[in-house]
Amino acid sequence: MTKFVIILLSAVFINNYVLTKFLGICPFLGVSKKLNQATGMSIAVIFVMMMATAVTYPIQTYLLTPHNLSYLQTIVFILVIAALVQLVEIILKRYIPSLHKSLGVYLPLITTNCAVLGVTILNIDEGYTFAEAMINSLGSGLGFFLAMVMFAGVRSVIEGADIPKAFRGLPVTLVAASITSLSFLGFSGVIENLFG
Amino acid sequence: MKYAFRDIIKPVIVLVCICLVVTALLAYINQITSPIISEAEKKATQEAMSQVLTDADSFEEVKIDDCPEMVSEAYRAANGTGYVFILITKGYGGDMKLICGIKSDGTIEQCKTLSHNETSGLGSKTAEDPYKSQYCGKNEDTLNQVNAITGATISSTAYKNAIEEAFEAYNIVKEAE
Amino acid sequence: MTLKDNFLKGIIKENPVLMLVLGTCPTLAVSTGVTSALGMGAAATVVLLCSNIVISALRNIIPDKVRIPCYIVLIAGFVTMVQMLVKAFAPALDKSLGIFLPLIVVNCIILGRAEMFANKNKVFDSAVDALGMGLGFTLALFLMATIRETLGSGTFMGFEIPFLIDNNISIMTMAPGGFLVFGILMAIVAKITGGKNSKKSFGCAGCPSAAICGKTACESKEDAV
Repeated sequence: MTKFVIILLSAVFINNYVLTKFLGICPFLGVSKKLNQATGMSIAVIFVMMMATAVTYPIQTYLLTPHNLSYLQTIVFILVIAALVQLVEIILKRYIPSLHKSLGVYLPLITTNCAVLGVTILNIDEGYTFAEAMINSLGSGLGFFLAMVMFAGVRSVIEGADIPKAFRGLPVTLVAASITSLSFLGFSGVIENLFG
Repeated sequence: MKYAFRDIIKPVIVLVCICLVVTALLAYINQITSPIISEAEKKATQEAMSQVLTDADSFEEVKIDDCPEMVSEAYRAANGTGYVFILITKGYGGDMKLICGIKSDGTIEQCKTLSHNETSGLGSKTAEDPYKSQYCGKNEDTLNQVNAITGATISSTAYKNAIEEAFEAYNIVKEAE
Repeated sequence: MTLKDNFLKGIIKENPVLMLVLGTCPTLAVSTGVTSALGMGAAATVVLLCSNIVISALRNIIPDKVRIPCYIVLIAGFVTMVQMLVKAFAPALDKSLGIFLPLIVVNCIILGRAEMFANKNKVFDSAVDALGMGLGFTLALFLMATIRETLGSGTFMGFEIPFLIDNNISIMTMAPGGFLVFGILMAIVAKITGGKNSKKSFGCAGCPSAAICGKTACESKEDAV
C-alpha cells in the first residue's frame, strides 16, 4: 500500500510531468489561459492516460514482449492511443453529448500530446506492475491537472501586469512557468522524509 | 459501387499496405541491429563491472535467497577475486543506480553511480570523486567513517544504506559458498 | 519560392522552435547539454527528412480520409528505425535522450511539416524543406543548450571552461532554467523582429495540429480565449 502512495505522490509532485519532465508543454502553454479550459483539458488528459495505460500495458506484456516484438512499441502505442481517442470521442458524442460538449474538443489535441505516449512508455520502462502502472498514470494525470490549474491562476495575474513589449505574450508566460516549476523543486525529498 | 470503393475500401487498403511495409522494414532492421544492441549492452555492464573489480577476469550472475531489497543484481568473479553488486536505492530525486565491487577480503574496491536524478551541484556530488573515493578500501565496520556531503544528507544516506545492503548480500553469498 | 529561400526559411523566418513555437517539449528537455541537443537535432532531422520524402512521394496515393493515420504510421516507423540505430551505434546518446527519442513521434514539427508542406509539394522541395527545418530545430536546440550548459555546468560539450566551472549556476540545467532561457530567447527574438513574431500568443492558427483536431476544437478554443 505504501508503495502505491509513494508512486502516486511522486508522480503528482516530484516527477511532475509538465514542470520537471517537460512532457505535455504544448497544451500547458496553449490551453492554460482560462481556468475552465485548463480544467477541461486536464480531465480529458487524466481520462485518456488511464485508458491508454489500461490498453497498452496488456498489449506490451501479453503480445509484444512474449513474441520479441518490443521494437514495435512506439508504433503500436501511438496507433492505439490515436484509435482510442477517436473511439472515446465517438462514444461520448453518441451517448453522453453533454460530456462531449465540455471535454470533446480537447480529445483530438491529446493524440499528439507527448505526456500520454510518454506515460505509457515510461510505465513499461520503469517495470511497474499493472496496478502500479495505473496508479502512476492517475498520478501523472493529476500532476498535469495540478500544473495546469495552478498555472491558469498565475497567468490570469500576468494578463493585467505591465510588461516590457518584447516580453509580452509567450516569453513572459515561459518566465512564469520557470518560477512555477521552481516552486515544484521544493517537493523533491519530501517523500523520502515521509516514508523513508 | 464505385463510390464505396473510393471512399471506404481504398483508404483501408492503403493504410494496411503502409502498415505492412513499415512493419516489414522494422523487422528487417531489428534483425540487423538487435545482436549489436545486446552485444553493446553486455559490453557496457561488463566494463562497468571490471572497473569496480579490476582483478576479475569474467563475471557470472548469482541468485541470492532473501536478497536485501536494494540489491538488484549480484555477480561473482569467475576467478574468485570478489563480487559485484548492482544496487537501486531511492535518492532525493528518484532512483539512484549504483555499482559496488567488494573484494574477497571484504573490502570495497570501487563504487560508482550508474544513473541518478539528484539535484545537480548537491546530491549529484555523490557520483563524483571526493565522496565516492571515500568508500575505497572500507569494510563493513569502517563504513561509518564515510562523511556525508553537506547539504545533501538524503542523497548521502541513500548511497550509504545501499552500500550497507551490498555488504549484507555479500555476507549471504559468502556463507553460501 | 527559390531553392535557397525554401531552405533558409526553416532556419530563420519560420524557425520551428523560436518562431513557430513547435517541438517545445524536446527543446526544453534535452537542452541541458550541447551533445545531447545536437544528437536530438540530428535524430529529428533524419526522421523529418525521411518522412517528408516518403509522404511527398506518396501524396497522390494516400487518400485524404486516412492521411493522418498514414502519416503517424510512417513517422513512427522512421522513429523506431532511428531509435534502433542509435541504440546499436550510439548507446550513450540513447541514454541521454531517454524517453524523448521515441517521443519524436509526437513532435509537432514532423507532423506539421507533413501536413503543411510535404503533402502539397514535390519530393525534392520537401526534402529541402525538411533539411532547412531540421537545421533550424538543431540550431535552436544548440543555442539553448550552449547557454544552459556553459552557465549551468560550466562546460561545453563536456570540456571544462575556466572560471565558469567554479561558478556554475546549477539551476540552469534544471527544469526552471529551461523555461527561463527559452522565455528570454523568445523575448530577444521578439525584440529583433520588432514584435512581428507571428505567434505572439499561443493561438490555434499556426498550429499544425489544427487540421487534425478539426475546426470544432479550434473555434471553440478561440471563442473561449
